Formats: sequence, structure tokens, C-alpha cells
Amino acid sequence: MLKTNGLTKKYGAFTALNALDLEIKEGDIFCLLGANGAGKSTTINLFLNFIEPTSGSATINGIDVTKHPLETKQILSYIPENLMLYPNLTGLENLDFFCGLGGKNYAKAELGVLLEQSGLQIDFINKRVQNYSKGMRQKVGIALARAREAKVLLLDEPTSGLDPKASNEFSELLLEMKAKGVATLMATHDLFRAKDTGTHIGIMKEGVLVEKFESKDVNFQDLEKLYLKHMHN
Amino acid sequence: MKTYILIAKKEIKIALREKLVLALSSIILVLLGISLFTGVISYQQQQKAITKAQDEKRKEWLEQGDKHPHIAAHFGTFIFKPKTVLSLFDFGLDTYTGTSVYLEAHYQHQFMFRPAQDHNSMIRFGELSSALVLQILMPLLIIFLAYASFTKEKERGTLRLLNSQGVTLTSIAWGKVMAYFIILLTILTPFILGILLLSYWLKTPDTITDLGMRIGLLGTTYMAYIFLFVVLSVLVSLKSSVSRNALLTLLTCWILFTIIIPKTMANFGESLYPLPSMKIYKEGILKDKENGLDGKTPKAVRMAKLEKELLKKYKVDSVQQLPFNFEGVSMQAGEEYGDKVYDVHWGRLLNIFNKQNKLGSYVSLFNPYMALRNISMGLSATDLSASVDFQKKVENYRRIFIKKMNNDMAQNSNYGEFYEYSVGLDMWKSVEDFKYKTPSIYSTLKKYVLEFVSLFSWIILLILLLNYITRKTKLNNG
Repeated sequence: MLKTNGLTKKYGAFTALNALDLEIKEGDIFCLLGANGAGKSTTINLFLNFIEPTSGSATINGIDVTKHPLETKQILSYIPENLMLYPNLTGLENLDFFCGLGGKNYAKAELGVLLEQSGLQIDFINKRVQNYSKGMRQKVGIALARAREAKVLLLDEPTSGLDPKASNEFSELLLEMKAKGVATLMATHDLFRAKDTGTHIGIMKEGVLVEKFESKDVNFQDLEKLYLKHMHN
Repeated sequence: MKTYILIAKKEIKIALREKLVLALSSIILVLLGISLFTGVISYQQQQKAITKAQDEKRKEWLEQGDKHPHIAAHFGTFIFKPKTVLSLFDFGLDTYTGTSVYLEAHYQHQFMFRPAQDHNSMIRFGELSSALVLQILMPLLIIFLAYASFTKEKERGTLRLLNSQGVTLTSIAWGKVMAYFIILLTILTPFILGILLLSYWLKTPDTITDLGMRIGLLGTTYMAYIFLFVVLSVLVSLKSSVSRNALLTLLTCWILFTIIIPKTMANFGESLYPLPSMKIYKEGILKDKENGLDGKTPKAVRMAKLEKELLKKYKVDSVQQLPFNFEGVSMQAGEEYGDKVYDVHWGRLLNIFNKQNKLGSYVSLFNPYMALRNISMGLSATDLSASVDFQKKVENYRRIFIKKMNNDMAQNSNYGEFYEYSVGLDMWKSVEDFKYKTPSIYSTLKKYVLEFVSLFSWIILLILLLNYITRKTKLNNG
């Protein structure tokens, strides 16, 4: 579903991402761990075609994201660290607007159900987003991914700053999406969430994917040791 | 539904919920209302005063009693410049050109009673007309409405989310342009319709030609101007990294367009093509009348030559033997020579005005505000060319009127007979009242080709630029 071949991004002499080879299949949740500046967000930005690769390629469902960005964006959903919506619109209006952009038209009641299923309190559905917490906005993002029937989820530190309850709810929603065959690439600092939710884990350092393994093959303590080893070297 | 329509709907919804936009729109609406109200009041008052004065002067002319036609020619009459109904929208140069002129034999008097003379310094700086609100304040509303159109999305992070939905920057930009244009049209359209209704309701004797077409073109031109500023504002916002930069850039453009360039060009035009002072202008006419245009044929020589030619033509020895009153013929000859001198001097003055105007037209290619201002005055018939046209028609009327008096004197009175000869009401009635109609819209449009080219080029250029930049821009920082 998601694939990179020697994907590289350089800014002058600085290499932000170096020859990344990665494959994420349907139903996989690939968690990218690493310090700030390790290349996690760069990878996601390349899949979104916000930036163009210096060399190599990235494909979604076999389609090159650089050559056909509009087509690949039709099947993906993106939730950044801090999902910003239009503060003067309600959660429902935001969802309606973004669904419309993706060519998905739902009745207001259906959108309300989607928001509710994504964990947003009923009272807040018709309130302006300026009154929402970060967790509530992330839930609207999940509702959007569901409404758009995205086949691919790109998550850039989505649980950063969320309280444990909201973080846990978010993970449950990801697992629901996983069960539906959605391929997920999630950049995160949260080792626990990566081990708990991810099917695969990669550790990045200075633009290089230094480790890649299935999460079932390591326990949390080993993961932590491995992560710290790379961070300290 | 098309993406840009969805974006436009969202933008309109957000704009309506933002208090600043509503407050600014209300201010513009109130200013438009006040300016239109004062425009109507001023138009009605002035039109009423002009009609009353014109009627009184006509009555005076008809009731002046029996007298010699040349005395009547000096008794003269007043002509009042009628207001065009569209002057309630755009005062143009009406405030600075005179409203009435005294017509008599031998002299081309200057227009008197410029409204600006009676105003205090603040009003002289620029009266609040509806045209001024739309030309200068409306762009400010557009700037405040659209300066953050992209920067806010970048700052908030919603632009990345929008783009991740597979929406192109081009669609986002045109959605925003469409939204702001629709919001502004909801202000402009009822106002233009109001002008249309008021114009037909207030229209007094048809001074202005092609009224419907003029209003239609005014509406279209103002829409084009608004569209242009919307695209410019969205474009600047797209290219700016933060809202503050976008606002500063747009306000700089606004100040350049509406204040600095027009004032600088007016001063530059005045320095490049200076006008003679009124004193020098009048002295020049007087001197050429006295000494002849070549400076070698004074009035006495010209009269002696005329006398000699007529005596020879009619084979008589003295002017008393001529079959007409020589005094009437010589007066008309003197009048016609004076007209010739006036045409030369007036022509020179017009030439300078035209050069200054032409310079303004060329500069308008780089300044859409100046282009719109000129077109607006032209279509409202309150521009310089309308004023010149009126002066020409008044002068033509004066010449016909004086010629009638002189011809009567030549044909019906005897040489040396002055106080003994008189004419009365029939003669006064034969001098028709002055009626004025503005030039046709076609002749007005011909004068503003460069201004129309300017607006059209600006729009095309900005559309192409917006399309080009949205296609080339990547969201790595957005």
C-alpha cells in the first residue's frame, strides 16, 4: 500500500532523509520512532507531496506521489500533531466541508454519528471548534478519515500532548481502522503507544532508518533499550 | 460540487461570523448611504437653484424692453451649467469648474462660482462622494477582508490539511476570490441598482445621454476594479509568510495607488506642461485682439481694410452709401476676429490640458485606481472633457446670439443711428434658450481607451499570476 524506494531528501548539504526503503501493507500500523529532526515528518511530508524528493520514489497503492499527487491524496487521510480546523465553524461543519472536498457527501445526521463514533461528545458536535481541546480536534480528524473511507492514514505525532485517556481512545480508533484494512504510517515519540498499537516499528536517526522490526518481536523494555541505544550513539 | 465552490461557501460562512468583516462592511454601507444621500440632496438643491436662476435670467432677457441690439448684446445673459444626474454618484471636476458664465459681446468670460471656493479646507481635500467610497475605501475593505486569506491558513495549519485532501492551491485561491467577490457584490449590486433607480427618478431635462448604458458600464467597471483588488489581495496573501507582511504590502500598494502616484503625477504633469496664469492668458487675448495675431495688424488697420474692401465691392465712396449699416458689419467682423484670437489661445490651453490628461492616462496603465477614477468621471460626465464640451457649446451659443444682434443692426438700422434704433420682444424671443446635452457615451469611451486597457490588462495579468504561482508553490512551509 505504502512503499518507498531509496527515498532521499536533501536541503543543500544537509540530508533530511537518506535512501529510505519501506513497505507498509494493508492493515499494518508502522510506527516511526526517533528524535526531532530524525526524518519522520520529512517522510510523511514526502508522501503528502508537500515536498519533492531529491531522489528515489514514494508510492501509495502503486501510484507515484510526486507524479500523481491528487490521485494519491484521494485515498489517504492526514492527521498532524496538532490538527487545526476552522475555529469559526462547528465540528460538524468542518467535517462536512472536508468530506465535500474529498467528494464524499453525507447527511448532517450521518456526520453527527461519525463524530460520535470517533469519540466526540454529542454536546460539542454543533459547537464551534474554537471551544475544542486538542483531543477533540484529533477526533474530528479520525472522523474525517473514516468518512473519507481512507485506505491510508498518515499520522504525524497525533497523540503528542493528549492526556492518557484521550491517547488511549485514539489508539482504539486506530485499531478499528486497522481492522478495516487501513495502512497507517505514524510518526511518534511515544514508545508505549508504538508498542501497544503498531504492527511494525522503525527507529530513525539522522535521516536513516536504523532499525525495523515487528512489534510482536520485542517487549516494551527491549524496545526502550534499543531506542535509547540509538539515541545515545 | 466543484471544490472552489465548496471553499467559497466556507469562506463566506466564516467571513459572516467574523465581527471585523461585518463591522467594516457596515461602515462601507453606511458611508455609501451617506454619500448617496448627500449626493442626491446636493444634486436636487443645485439643480433647483440652476433651474430657478436660468428661468429668472430668461425672464430678464425677454423683459428687458425695447433697446438697440448692441446694447442687448452687452446686457447679455447668464448660462448655468446643468448638473448631470450621475454627478450625484461621482462629483468629478464639478466642484472645481465654474457653474455659470456671463455671455456678452466682445468678451469670453470665465466660468464663475466654483463650489470648491465656498468649501472649507477639509472638503476641498475631497468631498465624500459614492465614487470616492468605492474607489478608495472599498479597496481598504477588500484588503482587510482578504489579506490573511492564505497567511491565516498557513499560520493555523489548515492549508496543509486542505492540501492533503487533494485540493490544489489553484482551487483554494479561486474559491477565496469567488467568496470575497460575492460578498463585495452583495454590497455593490444593490447600490448600483439604487443609483439606476434614483437616476431615472431624479432625471431632469435630458442633460446626460445614454443614461442606462452609462450606469451599466459604471457598474461593470467598478466590479472589474473590485475583482482586481480581490485577486491582488489573495495573491499577496499567498506569497506572504505571515499576515502582518501581507497587510503591510497591501496597504503600501493602496497608498501608492490612491495617494502617492496620483498626487505625484498631477504635480509632474503640471511641471512638465505648465498652464499660464489667468492674468497672462487674458492679457495674451487682449494683446492679440489689439495688435492682431501677427502683431502687425492692429484693430484700426483691420477696420480700415474692411471698409476699403466693402466700398470697393459696392462701388460707393462712403460707408453711409452702403446698403447696410457698416457699424453692424464692422462689429461682427471685430467679433469674429476676437473669436479667432480666443480660439487660438483657448486651443493652446486645451492642448496643455490634453497633454496633462494624456500623461495621466499613460500612468493609469500602471495604476488601476487612476484608470477607474478617469473612467468613472467620464461616464458620469463630470470630467474635464465634459466641462470643455459644455464651454465650447456655450461659446458657440454666444457667437450665434451676438451675430444675430449684429446682423439685425447691420440690416435694419442706419449708419450713426444708435439710440434711435431699437428692437423688442420679437427679437429677444428669437434668441432661443440655451439647451445642453452631454456628448454621447461613444465619444466618452473613445477618450478612455487607455484606462480600459489598463483595467483589462491588470485583471488578465493578475489572473495569470495567481494561476502560475498557485501551480508553482509547494507547501513545505505551510
